[in-house]
Amino acid sequence: MILTILVITPIFFGLGLILLPHVLQKNMAENIRNITKNISLGVGVALFAISTFFSITSLGGIEWLNISLGDFQLKEEGISLIPSIGTSWKLGIDALSLPMVWLTTMLIPVSMLVEWDAKDSHYFHPLLLILEGAMIGVFVVLDLFVFYLFWEMTLIPMFFLILMWGGEDRKYAAMKFFIYTFSASVVMLIGILIMYFYTTSSETMTGHTFDMIVMINNTELIPSIGLRHLVWLLLLIGFATKMPSVPVHTWLPDAHVQAPTAGSMILAGVMLKMGAYGFLRIAVTAFPGSTVVFTPLLIFLGMVSLVYGAWVCMGQTNLKRMVAYSSVSHMGLIFLGISTMQPLGIAGALFMMFAHGIISPLLFAVAGAFKHHYHTLEIGSMRGIAHHSPWLSGHMMLGWMASLGLPLLAGFVAEVAILISFWMTFGWLVLLPTMTLVITAVYYLSSMQKTIFESNNPHSAILPDTMKGEEPRDISWHENVGMLILASFTVIFGILPFIYWDMMADWSSEIMNILSEEMRIRGIKP
Amino acid sequence: MSELSDISIELIIPELLILFGIVSLVILPNLGEARFRIPLTSTRVPVFIGGTRFEFSRDPRLPFRISIVILFLSLFFAQLAFWSPENWTGKVGLVLEVDRFSILMSNIFLSVVFLCTLAASHRLPANPSASGPSKRDSEKVEKEKIEDLYNNRRQVDFYILILMTAIGMTLMTKSTHLFMLFVCLELASLSSYVLVGFNKETDIGGEAGTKYFIVGSVSSAVGIYGMSLLYLWSGSLYITDLTILWDSMSTLDPLPVISIGMMLVAFGFKIGAAPFHLAIPDAYSGASSLVAGLLATASKAMGFVALMRILVLISMPDQGEAFWMIIVAIISVITMTWGNISALSSTNPKRILAYSSVAHAGYMLAAIAAIGAGLGNLDSYSLIVTAILFHLTVLVVFKLGAFLVLNILEYKNNSHKLEGLHGLASRDPILAGSMFIFLLSLAGVPPFSGFLSKLLMINGILNSTIDTGSISASAIQEWIVSVDMLFWLALAIVLNSALSLFYYLRMGMIMFFEKTENDQPITYSIWIKVSIIILAILTALFGIGPISEILLDSVTNSANDFLGINS
Repeated sequence: MILTILVITPIFFGLGLILLPHVLQKNMAENIRNITKNISLGVGVALFAISTFFSITSLGGIEWLNISLGDFQLKEEGISLIPSIGTSWKLGIDALSLPMVWLTTMLIPVSMLVEWDAKDSHYFHPLLLILEGAMIGVFVVLDLFVFYLFWEMTLIPMFFLILMWGGEDRKYAAMKFFIYTFSASVVMLIGILIMYFYTTSSETMTGHTFDMIVMINNTELIPSIGLRHLVWLLLLIGFATKMPSVPVHTWLPDAHVQAPTAGSMILAGVMLKMGAYGFLRIAVTAFPGSTVVFTPLLIFLGMVSLVYGAWVCMGQTNLKRMVAYSSVSHMGLIFLGISTMQPLGIAGALFMMFAHGIISPLLFAVAGAFKHHYHTLEIGSMRGIAHHSPWLSGHMMLGWMASLGLPLLAGFVAEVAILISFWMTFGWLVLLPTMTLVITAVYYLSSMQKTIFESNNPHSAILPDTMKGEEPRDISWHENVGMLILASFTVIFGILPFIYWDMMADWSSEIMNILSEEMRIRGIKP
Repeated sequence: MSELSDISIELIIPELLILFGIVSLVILPNLGEARFRIPLTSTRVPVFIGGTRFEFSRDPRLPFRISIVILFLSLFFAQLAFWSPENWTGKVGLVLEVDRFSILMSNIFLSVVFLCTLAASHRLPANPSASGPSKRDSEKVEKEKIEDLYNNRRQVDFYILILMTAIGMTLMTKSTHLFMLFVCLELASLSSYVLVGFNKETDIGGEAGTKYFIVGSVSSAVGIYGMSLLYLWSGSLYITDLTILWDSMSTLDPLPVISIGMMLVAFGFKIGAAPFHLAIPDAYSGASSLVAGLLATASKAMGFVALMRILVLISMPDQGEAFWMIIVAIISVITMTWGNISALSSTNPKRILAYSSVAHAGYMLAAIAAIGAGLGNLDSYSLIVTAILFHLTVLVVFKLGAFLVLNILEYKNNSHKLEGLHGLASRDPILAGSMFIFLLSLAGVPPFSGFLSKLLMINGILNSTIDTGSISASAIQEWIVSVDMLFWLALAIVLNSALSLFYYLRMGMIMFFEKTENDQPITYSIWIKVSIIILAILTALFGIGPISEILLDSVTNSANDFLGINS
């Protein structure tokens, strides 16, 4: 029940809060509108409490020792949705999805707090709730039809968030976002359907089933290796576009720059991870053979994303665009981590998904606060603002440092794991990603230094023209609370990564057993 | 007489009701106080036809009331048959047969016509208190008054025509004889030609009607010529006879091949397949939205029924691929691509929906082509026919829904341009939300029913082609070379739905994004509002969950009946 509650409650509340005022009388509707954001935040916090409880205690009876690959906990099955095509409501959680679910429930209330005073908040916050339900759905369903359903369902609230609350070019960005990700996922759908054909089930009209566990375990039923490779590639197209990896990343900077702060926080924090999650859950798990064969492609994509993303960052003058490209760069590290074919590398990739999900929302929250209080995102047009906004500058420093991989912060754990295993596999080639980290440090440090420190006068900042004589001020309390939560988790998971690291390591050694078996068959040396 | 008594007349109660409705529509509004004086006496015998009309027969709302009641009743009986088909199937005379397939199609047609009639009360309002213009009126008021009078006068015409389309369509699905099928199809088509040209006072309406009529009658002429060739070859036009004859043909005889090709032209026009689709966007944009909705859903379904009868039932060999497979496959790819690309550059929402309807015809043709490949068995054909029928069914929900929304905007607004949709979200959020759901469903975004139907079609195509790929292929190219060409139709559908997303989203976006000067709320009847909301909810419910399962089950049964599989 507990997972169903996590998925259904936010969608139910979100839709209800949007629709209810249209049905009720004017007076009542106005009252409900006024407390919509409080209710939304309440629901968000409640869900966060639930997911935290089943993370730290034995709520619902998770067997922590068995949570790794294939052993889904809190399993729910039974309700058939469309029996004749073999799809049913089937949920479960394992080491791959548990951290992601926790991350989602954590980010939604935080992003609500950061954008507490959004205009038309009686639509804004419920939309975030619907988005939350759909994203948790993606992570917990074990039925590929419903998976695809939730996968596409995340697009609609995000589309509206960008369209209604975005920046000047929001129309273009929303279109581009929707069309890119939708087109890629219909390609992925063909892959899913081909997998579907080679399952057998006696109970359905079509003779097949969408049950994810059956599909994943039975991919040897696909007789031709060529077809398996094709399916793997089709899936990769869908997932890589979501992640996004070069060359299909171009929707990301536009979407990020135009999206409202909360939108970009969730986009970077969770939606990009959906791509990596799907890749690991379906493509890698179901087709280990193809994954092994296509490892060079993964290395290439990862390396190009990493280097190109970082390189482009250096030339950016827009703070948000820079952070967006740094996401592309970090997502490249995930592919690199998988392609090392080491348990440590894959665990690093998993932790990268998680750590980036905490750090990048902090970065976007900071960038959003600049836009909100200084009305500009141009690096260099504002200088030395630490004088006026000490809290904001503090958060910026922490976020920027975490993202460039400072030890004792969450990002470092993932990076160092990936780099070590990269060195173990590819030897001195590790210099290439390492040098990229230096580039990362360069652009982060220079942008930070320009924005919060560099000023000729120690007692006042150089304010951007867009301020128009407005008095500079620090971030408001709700923004501060949101950022503090993110910042404290960055530190906590930097010092105590093993909270989730252990289960991720278990999961990756399990998947590695399968992968190395495939490598042995093919005679590829690890 | 003994033959007549065998006819189980109760099976065609919906049609009889409609017939009764047409007759009463002809008679009732003409009733009056006319009396006939018997010559050389002063006795006046009332004859009731003509003269000063009674209170009730004078009321311009009478035709609407009659037809809505009649349609409701016949829809009720059709639903009765739908839910308990075992009591409602059988042969009616020589040329009609009621099976679960025809029951499903009748339900589709009748619900379309019912909803269109309901919407007509908004688009073509009857005003009982209309009066002639007087000299004091300003030009605008005078124009409105004249329009009111004009609308009052043509109420009967409209509803008779729309009932005629209903009776033609429902009988057409029940006919087992090609000639009967053609006559019923023409009855529905001729009425729809007139409906397209119904707004003859506008330039665009007249043009649309003429164009649609000319192209339509030419294609019908070609079709009936093809049918006469078929008769020359076979000597019978019963579909079962033709099927047997076709199967017994050892080598392809050119005569029936040519005739099937000609009928493909006729029915290709009805469904809006390229290159016969050129009149369709003009017709849709010239007609009022509800008529366009009728064409896009019911008329297209009618074309598909006819097409599937001649392609899948008659000219499908027992073994191997049908001769029309390549042609239909090529037509389908051209149709969907052409439709989508033309829709991209269009700025009239009705034209956009017209082109999207062309594209949807392409998807369904691709599914038919997959049957023609002859790779599967009856079960896999049933899967594809189910997909097509399911798509035709759910089209009623969201395509007609979209047209109904445009219909509301059209009257005293302008839905000829995308500007008509501007700021709809702030003027009427319910309407805008429903429209957005319809558009997403048209684009095939889950969880709406448009996605499920597209999925079933891709599923059908993959199901019959994927096993042709080489089993021993160890590289991607090897497998790609070995797989049947039709496999790529699935990819064509997928790429096209990605392409189509552009214009659906553009339409959806301007409702929320653009500001409008005219921000008065839109007024329309509560019934239309309720039906639009119901359609929007059904769009979601048919997409996932138990309700879609029920629908899918009965559509599967219909498909089995259509193919003659006993289940």
